[in-house]
Amino acid sequence: MAKRITIDPITRIEGHLRVDVEVDNNAVSNAWASCTMWRGIEKILRGRDPRDAWLFTQRFCGVCTTVHAMASVRAVEDALKLEVPPNAQYIRNLILIAHALHDHIVHFYQLSALDWVDVLQIPKADPAAASKLAESLSPWTRNSRNELKAAQDKVKAVASSGQLGVFANGYWGHPAMKLSPEVNLLAFSHYLQALEYQRKALQVVGILGAKTPHIQTLTVGGVTNAIDLDSQAALGMDRLEMIRTLLADVIQFVQQVYFVDVCAVAAMYPDWFKIGGGVHNYLAVPDLPLDSKGSAYDLPGGYIMNGNIAGTRPFKTAADKEFRDSVSEDVTHAYYHGGKPLHPWKGETEPEFTGWNGEQKYSWVKAPRFNSQPMQVGPLAQVLVGYALGHALTRKYADLAMGKVGAIAGIQVTPDMLHSTLGRHAARAIRAAMLAELAQKHWQLLVDNIAKGDFAVHNQPVFTEHEVEGVGTHEAPRGTLSHWVVVNNGKIKNYQAVVPSTWNASPRDSAGASGPYEASLMRTPIADAEKPLEVLRTIHSFDPCMACACHTFDPEGKRIAEVKVL
Amino acid sequence: MKRVLIAGIGNVLLGDDGVGPCVVRQLDSTYSFDESVELEDLGTPALDFIDHIAGLDALIVVDSVDNGKTPGTITLYRKQDLLKTASSVRMDTHSPAIAESLLAADVFFGMPPREVLLIGISAESYAAGCNLSESVRAAIDSAVQHVLAELARLNISCKKKQDCPSNVWWSAVPHPQPA
Repeated sequence: MAKRITIDPITRIEGHLRVDVEVDNNAVSNAWASCTMWRGIEKILRGRDPRDAWLFTQRFCGVCTTVHAMASVRAVEDALKLEVPPNAQYIRNLILIAHALHDHIVHFYQLSALDWVDVLQIPKADPAAASKLAESLSPWTRNSRNELKAAQDKVKAVASSGQLGVFANGYWGHPAMKLSPEVNLLAFSHYLQALEYQRKALQVVGILGAKTPHIQTLTVGGVTNAIDLDSQAALGMDRLEMIRTLLADVIQFVQQVYFVDVCAVAAMYPDWFKIGGGVHNYLAVPDLPLDSKGSAYDLPGGYIMNGNIAGTRPFKTAADKEFRDSVSEDVTHAYYHGGKPLHPWKGETEPEFTGWNGEQKYSWVKAPRFNSQPMQVGPLAQVLVGYALGHALTRKYADLAMGKVGAIAGIQVTPDMLHSTLGRHAARAIRAAMLAELAQKHWQLLVDNIAKGDFAVHNQPVFTEHEVEGVGTHEAPRGTLSHWVVVNNGKIKNYQAVVPSTWNASPRDSAGASGPYEASLMRTPIADAEKPLEVLRTIHSFDPCMACACHTFDPEGKRIAEVKVL
Repeated sequence: MKRVLIAGIGNVLLGDDGVGPCVVRQLDSTYSFDESVELEDLGTPALDFIDHIAGLDALIVVDSVDNGKTPGTITLYRKQDLLKTASSVRMDTHSPAIAESLLAADVFFGMPPREVLLIGISAESYAAGCNLSESVRAAIDSAVQHVLAELARLNISCKKKQDCPSNVWWSAVPHPQPA
């Protein structure tokens, strides 16, 4: 008998992700992803000074602050055709890399690991065996028997005091859990360690951005960090050394722990390389510019249609003409007034709430489309595009990951298998390993450029009476982010943010085509409809972000997965 | 020396959700505190909240609250009240995570804030916009007094400064309402 599962985790006012799936014969037969709150924040920006826009946009989301700040200044710079001095590019790149490393670590250990790791198994583990296993996988020095034993003791203490609720999304003891007690223990021990390293990454953002979570050092045309090698107050050798040391620790954790854990967990769940693919159109923009014009980048961008890797098309710049011309938003199934899909520069945000109706309107998320097609964005898109284009760094870490998973699982892992739930996790780890290497590179680029005697960090923006349009993109931790601005007479006339999670969480469009979340859930096996762990595995693999708009504390907060027999 | 964080939580672009940051900025502009006290407008930190609270002696959170009371009503919540709201399912890393962060800091990292107070201000509207509704704005002074009372209870001193305008930059400039 068919069942309807609604995962609607928070009551009332918060804007958050809701997922409805129909389950028939123990597999998903239909799916809807929706967002439950209207934001319309973009309207706040109309009429304001474009130089201030980033201060507001970094408040869109409390965790992706830097991400929206960066896309905003880039949008205004694009509209004004304003170049950014090399020092400012490198400083921005370091902030973006540090934020992304923080974000990827948090995503895996705080959100996703418990989809695969069963804490109830941990007390049964043999710490000595776990330590031996760990040493065979990684040179990481914190995998000793004692360290693992201490982690195990923590779980035992938590279990005996009845506080297992701390594992917020745990479906412990679920039949879809497959790891050995030792691997469960190892992953949990790294979850504890991850907190230290994610915090170090944030400290780098804090040093370069003057403050976290809301950075203060951006400006349209560059950054405001004063560079003076001999000063302790400015960005000098003291602070640069501090950054280098912090990054070195984070890099080691990413490459020796996070990357290895993802490979090891993936190797234990090989079936999940066949589940959760969905939309095989991928979109990524180039990022980490290497010069003031933005003519060369360290992260590749482009797009893939229908999984045709051989036909991958590159984007030459972060504001590529084809990208500019091809994005539109469809509101057929979203709670907005409107008819035809609109380009973001012409975008409207007029609410028309009708209540949830899967056949008609059912989400506050618009449906962004590229050449009228739904696109999957995120680390997987970037890795597949880079791999297809022969990007050396992508190939290096993707081949390393596929080799490692294959060796542990005793199977052959090919790039085609990355169109899957596990592919998204693997790609995020691959991207993190790439970013770790690039962190060192961009630190060195900054130091070398300063050593040449270049202290410039800022070009002055000049506004005219003419109307100008700009797009600022950033390949954010969750994928392609674009801010679209229309400036008239020095004031913002229109502003639209097309964020990664709207690409991925998009509802159906006028042609009935589902977005990536919805498509990826189709045919997912469900062992127990009361505990839809498999749905969460796939949704979590995208790293959703839409709940961050509003943070009211709800003392009655209840989160539920509701199951109805149809 | 005791380490204390006074954190304003909420999205300043969504109406009354911005009251936490407003209260903290008002405190910052009207009082000077002992060096051990930090004031932060944390916005909407979700799970990153853990990074800010681990190892504190005391945490004072000012936040809007959805408890069905008259807008502007202040309700105080202690640690045990907050822990009751921990969830069973989490969809993302960005949903509010006050309870989860407290639990994680407590259970796993062994460095929970020892004293926790959440000063909750019942909200009227979360519509997009940079201004508070009248009822909630009127509660700011009272929320400030609750923070000061908690500091006094913790034996932490502070001094009234010469009044200077609070740096609530997001609502500082009158802004034409969109049509």
